[in-house]
Formats: sequence, C-alpha cells, structure tokens
Amino acid sequence: MTTQIGFAGAPAQARIVRPSVLQQIWASRADYLYVLPAIIVMLIVIAYPIYYTIDLSFFETPPGLQLRDKNFVGVENYATILSSNVFWRVTLNTVIWTFASTLIAFVLGYAAALALHRDFAGRAVLRAILIIPWVISAVAASYIWKWIYHSDFGILGAVMVQMGLVERQPNFIDNVHTVLPSLIVVNIWREFPFAMIMIMAGLQTVPEQLLRAAKVDGASTWQRFWHVTFPYLSGVSTVTILLLAVANFNSFIIPWIMTGGGPSNASHIWITHIYELAFGRQRWGVASAYSVLLFMILMALGYFYVRALSGNEKREHGA
Amino acid sequence: MTSMTEMAAPRGRTASAAPRPRKKIDGWRWGGRIFLLFMLAYTALPMIWMLLTSIKSGFAATQFPPQWWPDEPTLASYQKLLDPQNSVGQDFLRFFWNSLFVSVCTTIMAVVVAVPAAYAFSRFSFPGRKFLFFAVLLRNMFPAVIFLVPLFILMRVLGLVNTHGSLILTYLTFGLPLAIWLLKGFYDNIPVQLEQAARIDGATRFQAFLLIVMPLSAPGIIATAIYSFIGAWNEYIYAATFLTRNDQLTLPVGIQRFFSENTTDFPGLMAASFMMSVPVVVLFLVLQKYFVRALTEGAVKH
Repeated sequence: MTTQIGFAGAPAQARIVRPSVLQQIWASRADYLYVLPAIIVMLIVIAYPIYYTIDLSFFETPPGLQLRDKNFVGVENYATILSSNVFWRVTLNTVIWTFASTLIAFVLGYAAALALHRDFAGRAVLRAILIIPWVISAVAASYIWKWIYHSDFGILGAVMVQMGLVERQPNFIDNVHTVLPSLIVVNIWREFPFAMIMIMAGLQTVPEQLLRAAKVDGASTWQRFWHVTFPYLSGVSTVTILLLAVANFNSFIIPWIMTGGGPSNASHIWITHIYELAFGRQRWGVASAYSVLLFMILMALGYFYVRALSGNEKREHGA
Repeated sequence: MTSMTEMAAPRGRTASAAPRPRKKIDGWRWGGRIFLLFMLAYTALPMIWMLLTSIKSGFAATQFPPQWWPDEPTLASYQKLLDPQNSVGQDFLRFFWNSLFVSVCTTIMAVVVAVPAAYAFSRFSFPGRKFLFFAVLLRNMFPAVIFLVPLFILMRVLGLVNTHGSLILTYLTFGLPLAIWLLKGFYDNIPVQLEQAARIDGATRFQAFLLIVMPLSAPGIIATAIYSFIGAWNEYIYAATFLTRNDQLTLPVGIQRFFSENTTDFPGLMAASFMMSVPVVVLFLVLQKYFVRALTEGAVKH
C-alpha cells in the first residue's frame, strides 16, 4: 500500500523533503475544487446507500417500506440466508453463470479480435456488426432471444425440428436443465464484443518489430501468438476478464426479463434473487443482508481489479 | 482447420523451400475466417430474425413451419407504434421522448462533472488522488440492486420519486466513474508542455485548461458522451423502480410493461425492440471511431 501511494504522483526527488499531509492538503486545496462535484455526487449516491444497506441488514422490516416500524434482530437475517436451500441453489447458479459467461465471452472476443486484426475487404463492416449486440439494450436483446427460444413459435426449435434433431419444439427456457445455458448464450451474445474491443485495442500496442523479429527467428504463427502477443496482452486481458466477471456477477436484465428466475429458481442468480426478495416479497432486511454479503464478495474482486489496474500503471511508468 | 493446414503445407514444400511458415499462416487465416463467419451468424441472425418478424402479421409470425421470408411483408407494427392518434403509438412516442430527455440530460451532466474531475486526476497530485480515483472506479463494481432501496428512500426524501430527475441523478452515479476513467486516459496523453507554454504566455491554470486542453480532448469528450448516452438509454432497473406513472416511463420499462399485457403481439414486440435499438446503433455507427478509440486510450494504456 505504502509503495503504491509513494509511487502515485510525485517524482522521486519530492520524497526526500516531505511536507506533512495537512500541509499537502492545504497546498493543493484548489485542486480539490475540480473533483468536488464528482465527490459530492458520489457521496450522496454511494456512501449513503452503502451505510444504509448495512444498517438495514440488522433489522426486520414490515412490508411497504414503513421503516419506522423496523425491529432490530441482530444477525438473524444472515442466519436465515445461510441456512436456506435457495441460497445455495442461487449461489451455484451465480457461479456457473459468471464463470461460463466470462470465460466463453472472453475467448470468443479474443479470437474475434485476432481474426479481425489482419486487414481484409469488409473488415470495418464486419467489426461494426459484431459490436452491435453490445450497444443495443439488454431489454431488447432479451426479447429477441425470448422470441427465438419461444416454446411454440421459436425459430431455433423449429429449425431443430426441421433438421430432424428433435421430435417437437424443445422448451429452452421453461426447462430446469436448459434454462441456464440458454440464458448464458444470450449473455455471451451481448458481451463478447466488449472483450473483442478491449483486445483489439490491446493488439494495436503490440510492437510490430517484436513480431517480425520472432518471425525472422522462425517462430510459427502459434509460437508468435503464445510467446509474444499473449504475454504482451496479459494486462489488458486481466482487466477485461475482471470487468466481465463483475458485469456478469451483477447482471440482472437478461435473467429477469427472460425468466424472472424460474422455473423453480433454476435461473435465479444473486442479483435477481435479491431484487425479488426486496421488491417482490418486501423482505427488505433479508435483501439488505444479501446485499452486504454481495458487497463483501465484490470488495474482494475489487481488490484484484485495483491491483490489476495499478499493476498496469506501474509497468507503464516504471518502464 | 487442421486438415487445411496439412493441405496447405505440402504445396508450400513443392513450390519453394522458404515459404513453409507462410503456408502455415494460411491455415490460421482460413480458420480465422471460418470463425468470423460463425461469429457473424451468431451475432447477426438474431437481429435479422427480429427484423423479419417485425414485418410480419401476427398470424404469419406464429406459423409452423415458420415463414422464413414473410409472405406478405407489412409495416403495420411500425405504423401502429409511430401513430400519434393511436393509443399504442401515443404511449410509445411518449416513452421514446422520455428516454431521449433523460439520456440527453444525463449525458450533458456527466460530461460537465467528469471533465474537471478527470483532468484533476490526470494532472494534479493532491493527497488522496489515488484513493479517490480508485474509489470512483470501484463504484462500477457494485450492482444497481444494492443501491435500489436506499436510493429509493433518498429520492422520496428529495421529493424526486416519479420524476425524471431521480433517474438523471442516479444515472450519473454509474455514468460518472466510466466517464472519469475514459477522460483521464485522454488527458494523460495530452502533453503537459502545451499547458505550460500557455501558462508562460500568461494564461491562468483554468484558462489553459479551458482553451488548450478542452479542445484537444474533444474526441474523448465525444466518446464519453456516447457511453453515457448509451448507458442511460438502455438502463432498466432504476427506471422500473423509481417511476410508476405510465406517462413517465422510459422505453425499456415502457416496452416491458406494455408487452407483459399484450403477450402475443410478437411482431409488435420485435418492432418496438428494433425502434428502441435504432438511436443507439446509429449513434454508435456514426461515432464508432471515437467509441473504440476511447477504450484504446482509456482502458488499455493504463
């Protein structure tokens, strides 16, 4: 931590004569004016909600958000969560959802970026088309795919029937076994373009000479990728994977619009479950306790995220 | 893919001694093309199916086997959605306008607040700079659901429930971190010497910022604006929670409410999904250059 702060801004000489923190703050008081608007907005809409959620997680609340009537129950809300079967089911779903979505979206995006790196006729058009799913609304995406998966008129099932793969229209999202993979396909559809853009951007920073040198030395395409490009992009890749993982862990719209968590919780992930507890069943206290648990997991992820980001910065400055 | 590499290799050997590695590349290139074709199908087919469904009649959309190309293409769904005389059209246009208003306001405010903040994070070294920057970034890690209940209560206290103000304020919270992050990348790449030159010529620090740095960071500001706009345009959860009056709804929530009542109007639903996507896709296609560049400068360089 200390090294990070010491590293942060000042050049090396400044560390020798170091004014006290208060002096530094006073000396740079004008600088804070620039960040003040951002910080005020952040405080109102972040710090307060977080405090509030933690506070509420220790209370039992009557429905309707009449919060004057809340009772202090200690850690009972947490106990309720950890002892419920639904919790473990939902956690397993969340893990599968997050891992599968992140991994496949990243690999597809990476491969697409590599394939698009070389110039060919129609590259710009193809790239634009591949990015569109990421731009359109997740609500629209959910409806498009819900229609594709429709149990009576869905095109996917119809194609499978016509090709003779199945006897009758499969029920993709009303089936406990297929619902989660079906939704993951939709999620990847929306997210691989993000990985693709990030890796495309990263590929532009790989020095051409390095690749050419490797080629002269007789490295094959795969060797050049594995020993030059891939390590060179490790920083971008880490950040991309983390951002994808966080986004997937936090996704809400696709499962909520497409299935609402059903059938029988098979597609509930943490976020949709919390939403349902709070706004469906009005169990604010339990929902808040869930949020606090979620918060702690995210803080752990956030730690790696910050480390990956400052690692990149360090590498860049240190070079 | 393997078979292609094998096929390509022997020919290379007979042609000349040297180009063996080049022939190997061909295998990868063909593999890449086939993969891109697959990705194109994965990406585009659902969207094409949306368009084809939207120009069918309700009856044609529910045939088996499906009509690949509609027998009688019709724009009836679009006419219905865009007709101000019709009650469906009235609602849809209202939602569209609400979405536009909220997204534009959010975008303007995000840029106004993020520009000075990003500049400060890029240039100044006040104590806590690093901490604040990461605190700002960390906001993006937390899902909307955590903030829903407390923000709802906060909006009640501020008297903003059922107003677009509640949405604009909330959208700022997830728009800002991203905006600051992206803009900082741009400022990092503008040489400090330019400002120093202006300062020597007698400009104040603020003047140097306004007259030198701002114009140079225009691409960054455009990119930031696009991201904020798209984020606000597509947002669903807060809008679904904070707004209850029908005439206030934004498009994603409006469409969801409408079609949870009219569950079988698939062409209408697809037409609405398409119309909802048009503004952001057009914006993206027109300003694509900035959109991708922002990530290159912002995300990848640091």
